[in-house]
Amino acid sequence: MKKFALLALAGVASAAISTSAVFAADFKIGLSNGWVGSEWRTQMIDEAQAAAAAWSDRGHNVQVVVQSANVDVPGQIAHVRNFISEGVDAIIINPNSPTAFDPVFAQAKEAGILVISTDAEVSSPDAIYIGIDQTAWGAAGAEWLAEALGGEGKVVAINGVAGHPANEMRVAGYRSVFEQHPGIEVVNEVNANWDQAQGQQAMQNILATNPDINGVWVQDGMAAGAWRSIMDAGKADQIAATGEIRKDFIDLWTSENLNSGATVNPPGVMASALNVAVFMLEGRELKEPATAGQYGNAMYLPIPFISSENLAEAAAQVEGQPGHYSYTSVLSIDDAEALFE
Amino acid sequence: MVDAVAQPPRNPGSIKRFIERYPFLPALVIMLVLLALNGLWQPRSVGLVGLTGLAKTYLALMLLAVAQTYVIYAGDIDLSVGAIVSLVNVVIVAFMSAMGGDTITVLAAMVIGLGVGLACGIVNGVVVAVFRLQAIVATFATSIFFTGLALWVMPVAGTPAPATFWRAYGGRILEVPFVFWAVVVLAIMLYLIARTRLAIQLLAVGDDVQGAYQSGLPVTAIRMRGYALCGLFAALAAFCITGDTASGDPLVGGKMTLFSVAAVVLGGSALAGGHGTVVGSVFGALIIGLINSLVYFVGTPSEWQNLVQGLAILIALVAGILIGRRARS
Repeated sequence: MKKFALLALAGVASAAISTSAVFAADFKIGLSNGWVGSEWRTQMIDEAQAAAAAWSDRGHNVQVVVQSANVDVPGQIAHVRNFISEGVDAIIINPNSPTAFDPVFAQAKEAGILVISTDAEVSSPDAIYIGIDQTAWGAAGAEWLAEALGGEGKVVAINGVAGHPANEMRVAGYRSVFEQHPGIEVVNEVNANWDQAQGQQAMQNILATNPDINGVWVQDGMAAGAWRSIMDAGKADQIAATGEIRKDFIDLWTSENLNSGATVNPPGVMASALNVAVFMLEGRELKEPATAGQYGNAMYLPIPFISSENLAEAAAQVEGQPGHYSYTSVLSIDDAEALFE
Repeated sequence: MVDAVAQPPRNPGSIKRFIERYPFLPALVIMLVLLALNGLWQPRSVGLVGLTGLAKTYLALMLLAVAQTYVIYAGDIDLSVGAIVSLVNVVIVAFMSAMGGDTITVLAAMVIGLGVGLACGIVNGVVVAVFRLQAIVATFATSIFFTGLALWVMPVAGTPAPATFWRAYGGRILEVPFVFWAVVVLAIMLYLIARTRLAIQLLAVGDDVQGAYQSGLPVTAIRMRGYALCGLFAALAAFCITGDTASGDPLVGGKMTLFSVAAVVLGGSALAGGHGTVVGSVFGALIIGLINSLVYFVGTPSEWQNLVQGLAILIALVAGILIGRRARS
């Protein structure tokens, strides 16, 4: 009797082990972030961690391990080497350099690790990129601005860090759009290093030298600074300028009824990449392989846009959040699954 | 019996002399402790693959810390070393991709790279030693200038380095990883430079500029040579970065500058000059690398990683000072 019970127990146990092996795959995913200078990055990590936790509803145990600190390029290469030492299944990285990771990603792939970059494209053939197309991001804001000005007027651009790949792609994006509008004249382009205070300063200088401008194309957090200078100069009703996606600015936009439009670079990109990664780790095949972009390894996510028409919706999403919280969008597990065979 | 005679007598005075003779010892102890802790939490990180990775990743910082040490010897500082790394990186990558990636081109590129590093060092030497500008501000200004040059050579990161270059860096010679050979060559170079008159002259200038001048040393020329040596080692660091990243990036070295200064101080050299060792700076660079890994391996939550890293570096600094002071008192 005792023997029978033991046998039965063993049978149940082995059945349990085999079902868990079939249905509840355990994955360990390493997240690397090499710059912590903005709340956007913190939100990016938080959303990715939430996305991993959400997989438990599907019976998956997705564990994330995070390395997030201000590091130089070698420091972030060390992140990747640490993940390889630890034996993770996948690495999702917001890379500090587009090209510097080729050798170390090759090592990761040799170790059987899936490598995905997000937010910034990488040249490595051993990785794929899941995120937005920064060129299209730059173009979308420029198209809104050209339309807001009726295709006529003097425009200035306030850019991020010269030589930074995302910045160069965004610049290429707006230039290609403005070239198609002969009535739009770009009278000045300056760099304000993605810094709100420098953006405000740059805008003051521009207003002093070009008081007759009609439009401003400006990126991310610098937009809040630029708008502050525009409002201080009392020109908010004469100038159209692109905006940004943090709650503070969305509130200002709503209350002051600004003539603005914001292209969204959602902090949820890393969460989206994670949802795609889990399906890839399961061995599912993408319907359309990631072959877009200059490096032929990109899969672009849709880019949301906030204009005065859908401003109320955006304000509702960020309602109750702290002022630095960014409007976001994530490829849900179901959306991600739809991309696979 | 012979051994007992050869051993120094065990009294505090001898340890004191020992530490004074080898000021890098506290850094060595801290490094070994960190290595052991890394192995405790992640055994694979101290295996052959893990250690090769550590050397590959931090060889550039080791060389840059050595570069920084030579100017700090003389009481100066170079805040442009990171920018020199970026500039040399883009120059050699641009040259190699324009000329094709054969062995002759690679060697020519390295000669050019050393020339660029040397030129940058001489520029720094001229503004600091000849024009007598404050080193910290003058080299900060030249760092912006060098970054501007790098951006002019290569406006966007992306040009790949030829495969011969980075395969050599990541490869093996006689079954031993290339980087370990590089470390051996570095050790020999440091030993030889330490025996030159220049190393002693730099320390003399850092110890007491007035005294050095009055005793007839050509202070201006010595400080300039320190910066020139610094530029050369920064170029070597750039070769390592290029080998490990296989590409050109005009901003790649920018953040390494302050890490190089931190490595020098962790290694037991005095920022005021006149006292220190290059070997200590090499250990200092490894301490920074090992701390970064350890912070992750012990499972620090992401929002605390920067804070813990900073604290750990501070603790390593304090520990080094305490070990040194207790041994000396």
